[in-house]
Amino acid sequence: MKMVTVTPEKCVGCHDCEMACAFAQSGDSCDRRWSNIHVSVSTPDRFVMPVTCFHCARAWCMEVCPARAISRNEETGAVVIDPLRCAGCKMCILACPYGNIRFDAQKLVSRKCDLCGGDPECVKHCISGALNYEEIDKLAERKQNMFGYKLVRMGNGGEETSHE
Amino acid sequence: MKVVILGSSAAALSAAEEFRRHDEQSDVTLISPEEGLPYSKVLLPYVLRGKIPYQGLTIRESDYFTRLNLRYVQGEAARLEEAEHRLILKDGTVCSYDKLLIATGARASTPNIPGIQDSRVCYMRTKEDLDHMMPLLHPGARVAVIGSGFVALQAAWAARFRGLPVTVLGHRIMPSAMDEAGAEVVAQAIRDSGVELLAPVHTKSIEPGPDGGLRICLEEGLWVDADVILVGAGVKPNTEFLAGSGILVEKGIPVNGKMQTSHPDVYAAGDVAAGPTVFGEEHVLHSLWPTAVEMGRVAGGQMAGVDLPYDGSLNMNVTQMFHVTVASVGKFRQQDVDECVVLPEELGYGRLCVFGKDGVLCGATLIGGSEGVSFLGKLRPLIARHQPMTRHPQELGDYVNKQVFARNWEEGQPG
Repeated sequence: MKMVTVTPEKCVGCHDCEMACAFAQSGDSCDRRWSNIHVSVSTPDRFVMPVTCFHCARAWCMEVCPARAISRNEETGAVVIDPLRCAGCKMCILACPYGNIRFDAQKLVSRKCDLCGGDPECVKHCISGALNYEEIDKLAERKQNMFGYKLVRMGNGGEETSHE
Repeated sequence: MKVVILGSSAAALSAAEEFRRHDEQSDVTLISPEEGLPYSKVLLPYVLRGKIPYQGLTIRESDYFTRLNLRYVQGEAARLEEAEHRLILKDGTVCSYDKLLIATGARASTPNIPGIQDSRVCYMRTKEDLDHMMPLLHPGARVAVIGSGFVALQAAWAARFRGLPVTVLGHRIMPSAMDEAGAEVVAQAIRDSGVELLAPVHTKSIEPGPDGGLRICLEEGLWVDADVILVGAGVKPNTEFLAGSGILVEKGIPVNGKMQTSHPDVYAAGDVAAGPTVFGEEHVLHSLWPTAVEMGRVAGGQMAGVDLPYDGSLNMNVTQMFHVTVASVGKFRQQDVDECVVLPEELGYGRLCVFGKDGVLCGATLIGGSEGVSFLGKLRPLIARHQPMTRHPQELGDYVNKQVFARNWEEGQPG
């Protein structure tokens, strides 16, 4: 399965991915509030990181949805929300441990990344190579090389949190 | 192997599906008194207020049972003979099993109030309840709600949303889903929505009203006239058929982390079962949809011989009512916490409180919008892992977000 992968050290925080997603979602606006990908910026830590749905193998949002509105697209592997079935109860938003599901305040239903049907706009508009759409097994390889990165000042009194 | 699952809701479906992931051969039978395809109780108030159509209640496709090779029997258990590994249904049918899952759920409690046995007194627990209630809620009907818990208030909001005059007669607002101070905020939202809220009051009796309706008489000397009464007074686990079976039954059926009852071949899950929590409690009745899904999954795996990791359930609750989103996770009642951090309003979450006990995160409540729900979602794994409480409200938001990133780094993207 292909996935949108993130290499945070390449991200320059331009927010283009958000605008591309917003336009794909809304059809007429680049207002980033419509976006399903979100670039988190922490200036004191000199840290930016785009966060988008992982389409988890065992998606808790999908299992917990009391309306059976969330399913997996057989073709793309994306975990998608059917807005016609969604009751707007927000159980999926509460279930997602990554904060990757949002609420459409106009349609009153949950919304999330659907991989644009297999051609994600966020990746196409990424200017720095931080976002890629790639096979998941390659990702596993790449993760191996990520060690050594340090995330400083993880809140909690400001102590350093190492991920070595 | 023969597997029998009693029930057809969250826990039963989740168990059957998990079982089939590991075992495609064994004979699996679901037995439930409910007619038709499985439906979702959580959605009843959403149908009542017209957010989703009636057909939206159905949560499995018409080919579901054949596709998963499950047998569905409409029936109700009358007696369990565990020594013989067999179950006797009310119509006399005898079902033998190798593994049994009790996912019979719970039913609406009927409070002991004289006069409550009236066709205009409704509950909101089953599709039948909804079918019964809908025609009674015609324009102009005066609605009284007995109870002020989660379900009672959902019913009140749905009736109000339909434009009906609503009076709520209750005690503490949502005791199992909101902290004490938050309950006051919800109470204000209820009143602002034009609902008359009388709390705390105690219902003494239900009498015939002077105008052909019903009159609810209160201990406090007041009375309320209504055409329809909606009762939300909690639920009662369906365990009666277990009398004499030898299966230990307390306030529900106590189960261990494998969802086993006092008899190893008999499992229980969902609203009927009291299982372990992330807080180290052994047997807690949650009566919550997500807990039922989780318990069902574990039970389904165990019956197929697969030991799924399970650290206990962590209660989570969310609903839309009175123009706000009300949500909670974990522990938040005064007696269970010793610390409360109120997140700054400018973060835009609404009223979001995070609770701690002995320096460890233990719960959160929200009255606000979806961004706050998302925050609670990110906080939930931290509560489950007993992460330390951060004392500075300004840092807490930052802390939670960074913990999410840190997990992405540490564990990689979940595949």
